[in-house]
Amino acid sequence: LHGKPGVSFEEIARAAYEEGRVRLATELLNYEPRAGKQVPLLLGMKEDTIALDKAIESGDTDLIYHVLLHLRKKLPLASFFRVINTRPVATALVETSAHDQDRDLLKDLYYQDDRRLDGSNLLLTEALAQNTLGPSLDKLKLASKYLQDSRDASATFQRSALDDAAKLLRMQETFEKDLAQSQSSATPIPGASTSMYIGLSAHQTIFALLRAGHTKRAQKIQHEFKIPDKTYTWLKLRALVSARHWT
Amino acid sequence: MAPIPPFSASEIAEKARRDLLLLLEGIRGKKNLVLEKALTGSLNLLVKFSTLQEYGVDRLFFLENDNVDSSQRNVVFLVRGEKAKTVMAVAEQIKRIRRDSQIEHEFSIFWVPRRTMVSDQLLESAGVLGEASVSEWPLFFVPLADDVLSLELEDAVKDIYLRKDPTSIYLSAKALMLQQQKYGLFPRIIGKGDNAKRLANLLIRMRTEVTAGESTNSGPSFLGLTPSSTIDSLVIIDREVDFPTVLLTQLTYEGLIDEVFNITANQAEVDSSVVGGAAPQPGQTGSASTSMKRKVLIDPKDSLYTTLGDSNFAIVGNLLNKAARRLQSSTERNQLAAKTTAELRDFVAKLPGYQAEQASLKIHTSLAEEIIKHTHTDIFTRSLEVQQNIMSGADPTTQHDTITELISRDIPLPTILRLLCLESTTNAGIRPKDLETFKRAIIQAYGPQHLLTLSSLEKMNLLQPRGGSSLGAMPAAKPGSVTNYTPLRKSLRLWDDEVNEADPNDISYVFSGYAPLSVRIVQSIIQKQTLANLIKPSSNPQASAQANPLAQGLRIFDDASKYVRGATFDETQTGEEKAVKARSMLNGNHSDGAKTVVVFFLGGVTRAEISALRFVGRKLRDVGGEGRGSRIVICSTGIVRGEGLIGCAVESGRFEG
Repeated sequence: LHGKPGVSFEEIARAAYEEGRVRLATELLNYEPRAGKQVPLLLGMKEDTIALDKAIESGDTDLIYHVLLHLRKKLPLASFFRVINTRPVATALVETSAHDQDRDLLKDLYYQDDRRLDGSNLLLTEALAQNTLGPSLDKLKLASKYLQDSRDASATFQRSALDDAAKLLRMQETFEKDLAQSQSSATPIPGASTSMYIGLSAHQTIFALLRAGHTKRAQKIQHEFKIPDKTYTWLKLRALVSARHWT
Repeated sequence: MAPIPPFSASEIAEKARRDLLLLLEGIRGKKNLVLEKALTGSLNLLVKFSTLQEYGVDRLFFLENDNVDSSQRNVVFLVRGEKAKTVMAVAEQIKRIRRDSQIEHEFSIFWVPRRTMVSDQLLESAGVLGEASVSEWPLFFVPLADDVLSLELEDAVKDIYLRKDPTSIYLSAKALMLQQQKYGLFPRIIGKGDNAKRLANLLIRMRTEVTAGESTNSGPSFLGLTPSSTIDSLVIIDREVDFPTVLLTQLTYEGLIDEVFNITANQAEVDSSVVGGAAPQPGQTGSASTSMKRKVLIDPKDSLYTTLGDSNFAIVGNLLNKAARRLQSSTERNQLAAKTTAELRDFVAKLPGYQAEQASLKIHTSLAEEIIKHTHTDIFTRSLEVQQNIMSGADPTTQHDTITELISRDIPLPTILRLLCLESTTNAGIRPKDLETFKRAIIQAYGPQHLLTLSSLEKMNLLQPRGGSSLGAMPAAKPGSVTNYTPLRKSLRLWDDEVNEADPNDISYVFSGYAPLSVRIVQSIIQKQTLANLIKPSSNPQASAQANPLAQGLRIFDDASKYVRGATFDETQTGEEKAVKARSMLNGNHSDGAKTVVVFFLGGVTRAEISALRFVGRKLRDVGGEGRGSRIVICSTGIVRGEGLIGCAVESGRFEG
């Protein structure tokens, strides 16, 4: 029968399955070219992983999602992860949909696969989503802690960047308190609507401090974060120009 | 009956329009339409709002605004059905209206382009599936111009390269398959890149699916699946093969409009102070434009624009000047010569044409002025200088000082990232030490949230340490290795110092020196002779022998593709012999010259590349094709520009206190 177009292997396989011959049915289904017909039957026969493979082969994301949803409901989480993590397409789709809907699932996934950078990035995303400083800092600490066992270069870089971010936020908080009085008089920088300093980058903080005339504090930031002199000079130049512009 | 050429833009547009209107007709009475924002552009190109009104559409809402009111009984959702997020949004709104409204509503959902099982499941679990009548609007290609078809998938780049989500590839395959069912199989499918290969495999697979379905339920006839006699081949280029072309600043007029003003669905939003407060264009659906911005139609049918759009911006001033002179002289002389009534009548009949031309001239003069202002800024020239140095093969480390300075001057982040990614993609990564310095500088200058941006760029293989990451390494044998520009610069003549912008003789004019690699690859398939002469101008006889049009071998292509990232493939599709014969008898023989070559860009195409391909097409038409047909149709998942490519990585969140 093989090679003849127009034979519906799906129907033959269905018949075989109804006769109770599951293996034969699976064999037969290999000849069925229409994935749309193949996959539901395979799911019906509880040949889940084969169904997933066939769905991935078809390239039809709808079918893949369909199988994944089915598996997610049926399997315990650990074995669900085991099924998908050898299949990059399936993992990617789970990640994509989980990013929108189910962050905890994603955390578990990264943890099980030991994808530390991704895990810490996820925590950083959550830190950004907080709207008060306290929880943000907590999340940052977690994100940094997540990486503490990794030794490779990118993890080390990420860790120090995360720690810097936390340090910067704390300094900004202090500035906010100390300089609160002058806040009312100065024009806020566009984009920073709620506060004067929190959330700015290191450069922007220096810029804002210089413009408001707090040179000492600006220099402290420069030393703390090892900002090159050349950059600092540029920032100073721009800040002074804009300060004159505004007063 | 003259056969309709395959991939005819007007026919595709007509069909999509008809399908939609039929669906709307199916819902009786007046209705409110809820539209996904991403579909606005496509809809604008296909139907006028007035037509929709004729079909009973009362008001238009955006899905994202979540503000549908209950003024009409019928509520129609027109949304893409591939993303769970949009499906959920639809479900939420149906629930909201049902809760708030006094009257009973009839809900209809038109999924674009298809109904999915997942959407059904989601709607079912939200408990609204039973109340909505669900149909499909099979919208795939949207014609942007006569030779440009786009799927207008906004997220395609992000999906394919960042999230590794193959939905766009599948939809592309579907769209191409529909054309195949109409005009016959692509006799050859040639392409480059891993995702392109995936697309080709899907096409071959879908073909067997169609044959399997055919005899069981007597679908279309066998003739539908024989090799086409009007299409020569399909060339698929994966965007991943050639990222630098997107990252560079485009230097054609149209490209620069896109860079400065951002064109979506043939429209650019321009500050009204630039183009003057003339009456807004009629017939625009859902234009919620403020008084500040005005939409300018970038119309491929405008005769003035057709000459301008594809030109290098350097000569646009001259062209505008010429057009103004011509217009002036023709109106003036006619006024003087209009002595007899017959002549006068003639002149008056032509008047609307002159007026339209004058209006168009006015718009483009002011647009050009605005762009000149932009190109004369210090930042623009500095970043262009870096781009040109990198592309011409200068040691990229010499550019680092300039980039650092630009960071200190706080120029927009995308511009910086484009430069860094350009260096990384053309030089197989950046030295780990330098990269770390840049990363630190970016975080300090633009904020720690861009740790995420940088990590996304790394995932997309746009920005990576040299040799450090396994994907960044360049050994030729490695399957997933990156494109190596160093040998290609010579073997495909990617850099041209003597570029002539006024009267171009090569595609390199679109970037004032750099010939886009993607288009070079296409040339190596369909314009072998010219390309061979260009690479080796001295040994003319040898070169033309090598590019023998009869030879099926693709020497330039094969040589070059060794250094280009991703899989190379060349599939031939044949049908059953009997059917082939029958078809050739029916259609007669077509000469090679009249055949169509379909170039498909998976993951987006830039406007500069379109201009370059048009240039190739014109040359081919002049000589009647070089063995592989001469009509070029450009298809893509969407139009992309550097900002868009980088934009899908940039994290927009920030810390707040």
